[in-house]
Amino acid sequence: MAYVIAEPCIDHMDRACVEVCPVDCIQTDEAADRKLYIDPEACIDCGSCEAACPNAAVFRSDQLPAAWTGYAWVDAAWYADADAARDELDRLLRAA
Amino acid sequence: MNRSALPINRPLPIDRPLPVRSVGLPGRSSPPRPGSNAVLVARADITPEIARFVIRPDDGPPAFQPGQYLTLGLVVDGAFVQRPYSTSSAPGARDLEFLVRRVPGGAFTPTLWQLAVGGRIRIGPAKGRFTLAPGDERTHLFVATGTGLAPFVSMLRSLSQFPDRPQAVVVHGVAWAPELAYRDHLSQLARDPRIHYLPVVSRPNDPASAGWSGQVGRVTDAIGLLHRAAVFEPAITVAYVCGSPAVIDSTAELLVGLGVPPAAVISERYWTS
Repeated sequence: MAYVIAEPCIDHMDRACVEVCPVDCIQTDEAADRKLYIDPEACIDCGSCEAACPNAAVFRSDQLPAAWTGYAWVDAAWYADADAARDELDRLLRAA
Repeated sequence: MNRSALPINRPLPIDRPLPVRSVGLPGRSSPPRPGSNAVLVARADITPEIARFVIRPDDGPPAFQPGQYLTLGLVVDGAFVQRPYSTSSAPGARDLEFLVRRVPGGAFTPTLWQLAVGGRIRIGPAKGRFTLAPGDERTHLFVATGTGLAPFVSMLRSLSQFPDRPQAVVVHGVAWAPELAYRDHLSQLARDPRIHYLPVVSRPNDPASAGWSGQVGRVTDAIGLLHRAAVFEPAITVAYVCGSPAVIDSTAELLVGLGVPPAAVISERYWTS
């Protein structure tokens, strides 16, 4: 169980979630990414990010809207292979 | 914040294999386990399930604003586990106090309960936006249940340092009277006519609450009582509410119904499921 950042974050990256995350489990590469990513292995499920996000982009993984379930893979994958995560994000956006 | 909830092991909605994590990619891999940077210097058991922990960071207290939380971290069964807690200390204090409820079977608090005075612990930087607005002259209504009182103790300690501090009203709800942490401290602060403190016990007839002769009921009952007594004027009140989501919702509904502007109801979710 973790939180996931979905499509509304893309090209906004407000970073309010980063400010409130108590375990610093939200990262991005500003030079290469269009969204922020939550590390599901570090997330402690506190929900601070969800409450802070002004774009309503953060969801509990079991409450992701059906159209955005693919973002769970994207967030988790980014921490292992960022390029693969970006490729999948591009695919999701093309398919949307 | 006192989010000692166990992450629930519901699987992520992932139906394809994830790439394998590499170790050592800056900013991408799981962070290395940090070492301890603080020591437990005192502990006071308020009840068997609630305790006050006093922690001294090695490098002095980190900068924080009243109402913010910091993570405490310990190694639990070989894994580094951290949980965020609001400190009840005022900024600048040498030691940081935390009011913690033990969660039986929880991922963190059972190990914290085993930590002896002198034991080492990791403390992280302050985070959170549940903070006071500088110069806010409105009456500050602080509503807490259980260990949700902690950020308000910090706020009150901070406000007390200012001669032109606003009027403050503290409502602290607990199930049993012994859970009224900081009762003596708050009673002492309430000698100041600008501070009103109302503890409220929801299970006064339980043997654990024997001897309790104060207000009974829930925080919403206490708020109604204070409103009828004109202790606060809703239109010029800012309310800070810290407790479970259910308490926040019921309190916010009541306050807005009484005339507190919705934007003046600020909340911090606590839960210990």
